[in-house]
Amino acid sequence: MVESSIVLILFGSFIGLLLMGAPITVALGVSALVSFLYLDENPIKFVQIAFTSVGSFPLMALPAFILAGALMEAAGISRRLVHLAESFAGPVTGGISAAAVLACMFFGAISGSGPATTAAVGMLMIPAMIKRGYDKGYASAITASAGSLGIIIPPSIPMVIFGISAIGMVAPPEAIAKFGEFQTVSIPKLFIAGFAPGLIIATTLLIMNYVSCKKRGYHGTSDGWSSDQILKAFKEGFWSILAPLVILGGIYTGFFTPTESAIVAIFYTLFVGVFIHKELKLESIFHSLETTTWLSGRVLLILFTATVFGRLLVENQIPAIVAESMLSITDNLYLIWTMIIAFLLFVGMFMETLAAIMILTPVLLPIAYSLGIDPVHFGIVVVCCLGIGFQTPPLGENLFIASGISGTSIEEISLRALPFAFASIVGVFIIAFFPDLTLFLPRLLGY
Amino acid sequence: MAKATVLFRILGNIESYICRTLLSVFVILLFLQIISRELFQHSLSWTEELSTYMFVWFVFFGASYAAKLSAHNRVTFQFKLLPPKVGVVMEAISDLIWVCFNCYFVYLSYDFVFHKMNLFWKSQTLGVPMKYIYLILPIAFSLMTIRILQVNYYKLIKGIDIRDPESLEVEKLMDSDNQNSKSV
Amino acid sequence: KTFKVAVGDAAGGTQHELGKKFNEVLMEKTGGKHDAKLFMNGQLGSEQDTVNDAAIGTLDFSILAINNVTPFSPSVGALTLPYMIQSLDDAITLTQGPVGEQLVENTLRDAGVRIIGWAYSGFRVLTNSKHPVTTPADLKDVVVRVPKNEIMIDTYKAWGINATPMAWSETFTALQQGVVDGQDNPYITVYAMKFDEVQKYVTNLRYLFSIEPLIVSESVFQDQSAEDQAAILEAGKAATAHSAQFLRDQESKIKAELTEKGMVIADPADNEKEWIDLATSKVWPKYVDSIGGKDVLNNVLKSLGRDEI
Ligand code: NA
Ligand code: NA
Repeated sequence: MVESSIVLILFGSFIGLLLMGAPITVALGVSALVSFLYLDENPIKFVQIAFTSVGSFPLMALPAFILAGALMEAAGISRRLVHLAESFAGPVTGGISAAAVLACMFFGAISGSGPATTAAVGMLMIPAMIKRGYDKGYASAITASAGSLGIIIPPSIPMVIFGISAIGMVAPPEAIAKFGEFQTVSIPKLFIAGFAPGLIIATTLLIMNYVSCKKRGYHGTSDGWSSDQILKAFKEGFWSILAPLVILGGIYTGFFTPTESAIVAIFYTLFVGVFIHKELKLESIFHSLETTTWLSGRVLLILFTATVFGRLLVENQIPAIVAESMLSITDNLYLIWTMIIAFLLFVGMFMETLAAIMILTPVLLPIAYSLGIDPVHFGIVVVCCLGIGFQTPPLGENLFIASGISGTSIEEISLRALPFAFASIVGVFIIAFFPDLTLFLPRLLGY
Repeated sequence: MAKATVLFRILGNIESYICRTLLSVFVILLFLQIISRELFQHSLSWTEELSTYMFVWFVFFGASYAAKLSAHNRVTFQFKLLPPKVGVVMEAISDLIWVCFNCYFVYLSYDFVFHKMNLFWKSQTLGVPMKYIYLILPIAFSLMTIRILQVNYYKLIKGIDIRDPESLEVEKLMDSDNQNSKSV
Repeated sequence: KTFKVAVGDAAGGTQHELGKKFNEVLMEKTGGKHDAKLFMNGQLGSEQDTVNDAAIGTLDFSILAINNVTPFSPSVGALTLPYMIQSLDDAITLTQGPVGEQLVENTLRDAGVRIIGWAYSGFRVLTNSKHPVTTPADLKDVVVRVPKNEIMIDTYKAWGINATPMAWSETFTALQQGVVDGQDNPYITVYAMKFDEVQKYVTNLRYLFSIEPLIVSESVFQDQSAEDQAAILEAGKAATAHSAQFLRDQESKIKAELTEKGMVIADPADNEKEWIDLATSKVWPKYVDSIGGKDVLNNVLKSLGRDEI
């Protein structure tokens, strides 16, 4: 059978190249090329795909959000947000580590990246936790785990990529006949839908944190909440708190597209950084531009090869075959959700998040459609699952950063992060099994 | 001598200069578009297309720059289980495969742009022949190939390990508690 | 062989209808030897990409909007000038008559693809959420979304407003949020996209008739045996005839249903004269060169029995 041999060649060479240490983009591109040659198809198609996969207007949200995030840090916006969260720590058990989770939520509302969130929050909060007698490994683990809130709470670069991958894919007519019309995927819709799931994951982390801190005997400070300190943090952080409102407000009211809101955020940050905080130096603007350059180049080169890879899958109708064989095992929605989540968590252990989304969306979304799963809901679950991958070894970007900050070994942090991974997974199941939790907000806002 | 050094420095980071310029320009262009729409109720029809094409150029030059920084992500945990030599050899071989892929792609895109592309095809609002816009592909992938060879030359022959910027950032975090250092 | 057919639109529209009929007749004519697998909704790339792919021979067939063929073969642009086509009969005359044959030849020469069938999607009617529109003056406070298409933007300019170019994927949300007030599209699209939920007033403009050709890669076509070539051409013809009938049936049904759902449908004032005059006098001169000159234009007008310019 042609299909099975092509699957073998495509995925075989892909995994082989990955294990050889080839960059992900090379593994994707070369395995697709080999399959093209095997199928006796003309690979000149690659050229047009290279251009059009990248040349889409909504995709410009990606560099715009990366740049906005980098500038916000240089402009002192991130630091003030973290200080504000820290001021809430207070006398409760595990207060300061709960404040770290809170800081990740605040920062998540301006940044679209998980590792960036971990870095920005970790740099201030990990030392603060250690100062209050926390175990280094624990302090690193909770920050690395909460760092994934950066991609669940909007704005979110993985959601942009999911949106781009999913926009061209409509539900098959059989699914529409069975379940009625599906809503269309859009990036603003995903952003709005991510809000409640972000809160849910944060809550599970906070509960796990409370339980662990109780056991470990991490008490809060004895002097109670300092309203002076909170007020001071609020005052200093005033312009920083406005930043997420600018970004999300524009999107939620439909005033701006996500790309535009990132652009507005960039200019807002320049304004605040130069005129109000007076911290933004020309040098750090250049540095932010440079970081954005190589990060975008790296990710979007993967987008090109992943699109070729996906095109091969589609042309050979492999997603349909996968869906069929999956549905032949069971048609129980919850069982299939469990299978999909387990698979995504597994992939998230090894694979870079954005690449995983680009490769898996064409395969998994048709399955979701054939089960009547809402595509926006599905996208959120995918992003949440892969977000957990940031904190799981062997490839856990948040772990690396937390380890860098605290000087603790990756092994120790991953061990300490296990309970939090468990808590997040519970959160993911809640989000997956109760679609309304995700979908009520977009509905409420008229999307 | 001094002039030559400056020239080398510029050439050595040429993608970075180009990309930073392109990025700044399209960000400003999009901002002007928002201003013109929201404040003057006037939509500029050409900004979207122009900024999209600048973005494509930015991406492919950026990919070449990322190759220069050795920043394209690889899966490397498996090498921890093996003697260190194995990892070095495997990565070198996979880079060789990468170079071959790029050369083939340069050939394909050159062929496409100069022989296969339709002559009438122009961009919709700017009217520029698409040929010139597609030229980025052979250019950027040639440049990227040079960068891959450059990195491997430094690594294998000169013994200078070019590490990707993320692990450098992480190392920097370990060395100091400089709160302004960035990582994304 | 199973041919790959790229289809720009989602399932359920006129493009899909054309493709299905084409496949059906092709299978019948070749006794099941060949069939056509449709890849809907741009799965095989953007509409313009598919023209290049077919020209190179990496794609067999594509069904796409005519304005995405224009960049590759400018003379078909004659069909996209405002008010060139003023009825379904005009469209049939132009595409299936001598002018159509000439266009097919030009496209073959310029773009390396052969047009073997046409889907007719009907006139792009204007919808908006603000108030009834019957004269160009009524438009002045309506923000209208258009695709990134110069001719359409210029036509609205001729009518006195700056239309907002916007990607299709953002349009429904923009209408819903009130970022734009109106848009134009064929009835079939208005209905399929449920625009009645966010729009109230319809104006039966006839400035653009949506035509969507079915193209085949010439190199793929030449690889087929004479019998198979004949079967492909016949299947294209049959699908074209089916498309015209489908449009007639659907449009009247949809109009009735949209009215029932509360949409208010109106015809342009004075038999559309002011609209036509503004558009033809201001837009045609600008594009006459790009479609191959005055002669091409007059040739088209003559075949429709209209005054030459
Ligand atoms: Na975020
Ligand atoms: Na991981």
